[in-house]
Amino acid sequence: MTVHQMPADNTKPAYNYAYLDEQTKRMIRRALLKAVAVPGYQVPFGSREMPLARGWGTGGIQITAALIGPADTLKVIDQGADDTTNAVSIRKFFERTADARTSEATEEATIIQTRHRIPEAPLKSGQVMVYQVPMPEPLRKLEPREAETRKMHAWAEYGLMQVKLYESIARFGEVTTTYDYPVMVNGRYVMSPSPIPKFDNPKMHMSPALQLFGAGREKRIYALPPYTSVKSLDFEDHPFRIQSWSQPCGLCGAADSYLDEVVIDDRGGRMFVCSDSHYCETRRAEGHRGAMLGDAAASGLVEETNP
Amino acid sequence: MTLHVAPAALDLEPAPLLSVANVSRFYGERIGCADVSFDLWPGEVLGIVGESGSGKSTLLRCLAGIDKPDAGEVLFRGGSEPLDIYSVSEQERRRLMRTAWGIVHQNPRDGLRMDVTAGGNVGERLMDRGDRHYGEIRERALDWLQRVEIAGSRIDDRPRQFSGGMQQRLQIARVLVSEPRLVFMDEPTGGLDVSVQARLLDLLRVLVRDLGLAAIIVTHDLAVARLLTDRLMVMKDGKVVEQGLTDQVLDDPHHAYTQLLTSAVLSV
Amino acid sequence: MTTMIQVENVAKTFTLHNQGGARLPVFDNVNFHVEAGEALVLAGASGAGKSSLLRILYGNYRPTSGTIHVTHAGRPVDIVAAVPRTVLDIRRRTLGFVSQFLRVIPRVSTLDIVRDPLLARGATPETATERAKAMLARLNLPERLWNLAPATFSGGEQQRVNIARSFVDPSAIMLIDEPTASLDAANRDVVVELIAEARAAGSAIVGIFHDEAVREKVATRYLDITAFRKA
Repeated sequence: MTVHQMPADNTKPAYNYAYLDEQTKRMIRRALLKAVAVPGYQVPFGSREMPLARGWGTGGIQITAALIGPADTLKVIDQGADDTTNAVSIRKFFERTADARTSEATEEATIIQTRHRIPEAPLKSGQVMVYQVPMPEPLRKLEPREAETRKMHAWAEYGLMQVKLYESIARFGEVTTTYDYPVMVNGRYVMSPSPIPKFDNPKMHMSPALQLFGAGREKRIYALPPYTSVKSLDFEDHPFRIQSWSQPCGLCGAADSYLDEVVIDDRGGRMFVCSDSHYCETRRAEGHRGAMLGDAAASGLVEETNP
Repeated sequence: MTLHVAPAALDLEPAPLLSVANVSRFYGERIGCADVSFDLWPGEVLGIVGESGSGKSTLLRCLAGIDKPDAGEVLFRGGSEPLDIYSVSEQERRRLMRTAWGIVHQNPRDGLRMDVTAGGNVGERLMDRGDRHYGEIRERALDWLQRVEIAGSRIDDRPRQFSGGMQQRLQIARVLVSEPRLVFMDEPTGGLDVSVQARLLDLLRVLVRDLGLAAIIVTHDLAVARLLTDRLMVMKDGKVVEQGLTDQVLDDPHHAYTQLLTSAVLSV
Repeated sequence: MTTMIQVENVAKTFTLHNQGGARLPVFDNVNFHVEAGEALVLAGASGAGKSSLLRILYGNYRPTSGTIHVTHAGRPVDIVAAVPRTVLDIRRRTLGFVSQFLRVIPRVSTLDIVRDPLLARGATPETATERAKAMLARLNLPERLWNLAPATFSGGEQQRVNIARSFVDPSAIMLIDEPTASLDAANRDVVVELIAEARAAGSAIVGIFHDEAVREKVATRYLDITAFRKA
């Protein structure tokens, strides 16, 4: 039994469908519509208290709650993995409060709530990405005054953002920002993509999926409608570049995915594996084998699937 | 004698760069500055002198687009159309302040980003206007650091590692890099040692002349006014009591207050 | 002959507001004119107001009344009523002032000081440098000083720098206040030559010379300003 269903004794359910009351969901949907209408613009919304602390993805959860229906399939990823505590808890939350089907398969999901990653498998039209955002204001570290950052966005005064990139190149020879790398949306607003690696930035550009961003603590919602131009900020002579690795995924051999470094023993042994756990498993199921798959399976780190 | 009546004006320039008409600013009952009018032509350097509290800084803030005056008009002719800086949008005014205008603050901390390197500080206005070539921005920044006598090797140091005089020179480079037509300076040498002041003054004098800048300089130091300015306005209690050619005002002061000011100085 | 300066009904009274409004009348009803190629020497006892009159001609002191037309860019301009930028333009292009003292600008080399007026009037850097060097040599200023700023020079050396700067490209009107005060005989003679050359080239000169021998050699006409003293 899920908590929103009528109990047998016909008293009222403990919670409304998808936890939030309908008025709140309507308010959030209105904010979402405005955000979609002005891509990259941060729309204030009345963020509610949720049954977990702010900073644990309450912005994303509220957006998902406002969107989800019984026909939806929800995927939740945290740092690319479907099986971390936060991802599991959020999935369970919607299973209990919204009767949602959940899946780890990117292709099956209609709503993908995420923290820190965009799946490696290409997104499709009709899918909705929901990003959990801790710090929606890309200018905040440079300009602490909210009134001032609003003016800077209103009049597209983005020189200061460029100064930040300049500083990085001046000190380190390259832009060292590797996640939450600022982007220009639709040639108009500078936007924080949330703390995804800059590796994922190109996936946002002209994506067929609808991308929604929720910051619960900061009470802001913003959006990228499908097929929106998203350009990572750079200099003509220091063009934006994504990370690359010297070796492919140790488990599935993928050379095109974002890799995490994993320490595998206490003798300094390590390997690089896909951060997107579902992508990696799918490839292994298809018969791709990385150089270290045998070792990893032998030590019980992963199950070796036979094609 | 009214200096504005000019039977023999020589039409050196088609129009003043800045026309100020009846600017007044009040703080409740108290007068900040009252009924100030003047024209500033391209390449002219105007000094505003007076004691603390005479209203000179208030006036500068009104002229520079920082504080809206309660009455009066400030007209800037930097582009094709004259611009009433307080009737245009805030957006337009901010754009103006980042491009055609520059403000040099008395305290370099108010005009610099202390956490940003010298190069970034100088390059910001270039990036503001849309420059996106790192190498070119850096080259311009290097050029300007040298023009204000800061070694190129300091380009990646932050201003807090600089002496007061260097910070002030950096602030000047940061403002002048966008080649403004008009620069406002509030006590540019205040708070500096005398020897450091002399170097800064000489630098300002050369830059103002070489770039053909129009400038408005607020100072209580008559020696600074003598060295840098073409014209002077003497302010007392918010009002302009005397104005004219700098050496005229200093050498043959007519108003009682100006006579008091000039006689209070050992030698200017 | 071209009239370069026309002084009409000029009066000057200093009012000292901070000394009980004391009024110091200097002179009244001053009328005279100076032609191109003339050297008018102001005469009168010390304290008669010679320097004040020179400063009024330069636009440095403001007369209490009267007009002073100087011929600037081919037409007469009243320097008393002119706006500051006009006065500055007249000084830049027409009206030079040679004072006893050099106003030392920190850190600017002697050569640059002397080159400056030539550059301001559009000479090429090469020509300007060449003429500046020639002028400094003529005034016997040691070559080792040319690239130094004159702040530490002796009074006579500073004065010669000042004269070099003024005569490297003589103005159409030159106002000269005691230029030879601390010079030796040889350099005094050079200054007399320079003034004569400027006059021959058409400059109008108005000057104050304390040294009688110099005065005699320079003057084409005298103006005793004691006549204008207020009673």
